[in-house]
Amino acid sequence: MNLGEAAQIFAFGVFAFISIAGALGMTTTMSMFRSGIFLMASFIGVAGLFILLMADLLGMLQIMMYIGGMLVMILFMVLFSNDPGGDMMASMKMPFLERFFSSGLLPQKKIHRDSHSHHNSRNNNNQADKDEGMNMGMDMSMFTSLKPYAAWIGLTVTIVFVLLFLLFPDWPVKNFIPDQDSSHRIGMLLMGKYMMAFEGAGLMILLGIYGAIYLARPGKHPDSKDRNDPSSINEEPPQAAEDPIEPFYNINLKELYEKSEDEK
Amino acid sequence: MILPINAYLIVSAVLFGIGVYAILAQRTAVMVLMGIELILNAVGLNIVVFWRYIQPENYSGQIFTIIIITIGAIEMSVGLAIMMLLYRNRKTVQVDKYQDLKG
Repeated sequence: MNLGEAAQIFAFGVFAFISIAGALGMTTTMSMFRSGIFLMASFIGVAGLFILLMADLLGMLQIMMYIGGMLVMILFMVLFSNDPGGDMMASMKMPFLERFFSSGLLPQKKIHRDSHSHHNSRNNNNQADKDEGMNMGMDMSMFTSLKPYAAWIGLTVTIVFVLLFLLFPDWPVKNFIPDQDSSHRIGMLLMGKYMMAFEGAGLMILLGIYGAIYLARPGKHPDSKDRNDPSSINEEPPQAAEDPIEPFYNINLKELYEKSEDEK
Repeated sequence: MILPINAYLIVSAVLFGIGVYAILAQRTAVMVLMGIELILNAVGLNIVVFWRYIQPENYSGQIFTIIIITIGAIEMSVGLAIMMLLYRNRKTVQVDKYQDLKG
């Protein structure tokens, strides 16, 4: 075994560890922000594996699309969804992995969450809301009650796949070094044989953007009578409390203008 | 090709299993979407491994991974929009509170 092969094995170990540990941390940590960061680590590990497999264009695409684009979106979504942070840490017994991956999270001070009080008449599962309101600190776990079954199902899926891969008689592996200029080959394929898929993906992105904007704008339906006006709310700015300096917008521009005209 | 193909396949199988666990066990919509991303990632890794080891002269495998990444981006943006709409209507982001489909 020469140095290059040893380096390859070492790099594989590092990247496989990063990707699997990142994925495990993503599912088990108690802070959603932290799980977004763990997911980023997992994506970086998979990008490293792509580069080891000589798919360098895909490795770059992975980092740019997933980490540059999607993770920003994920972290934006985390802002919406009331990140429990270390809230429940004080009162919960956790399995080893969860305790390990959420180590260092501190229980937050209790803050009054106006946005999360369920006074909406649309919400008719009152009992569940009352339950949530009663033990605010307890019921903010990020997991459903089916967590043990989910763990067993995930483990079973993993074991089944690993056994399938291991017990398959033998893959017809070719010892062939692919073209170094893979981006050129991929570009030719995308513009030639897979033209329709490429254009279809473009059309689908357009439709996705349109659908996302359509769903996310204010109001329920354009024809609905109780649809809100989609303009922003015009609100008077709050008065500054006891500001000694005169506000700038109280200066009468017209007077100033006339004064300057007189000087001329 | 010092590494056997099974090493990479096991990594992708483990990623897939963790993604399944994340989808089933998490309560928040964002975490479910993260699990879906993880599964898409595992599938992409699997495709690239099979391209590299079985058919390295045919670059179609990488095209499929590119398409998968694109679909993942679209799914994420539409998921964000749906989640914002649901949050606006129901004032909660817990998936197990979404028990009816009426807006």
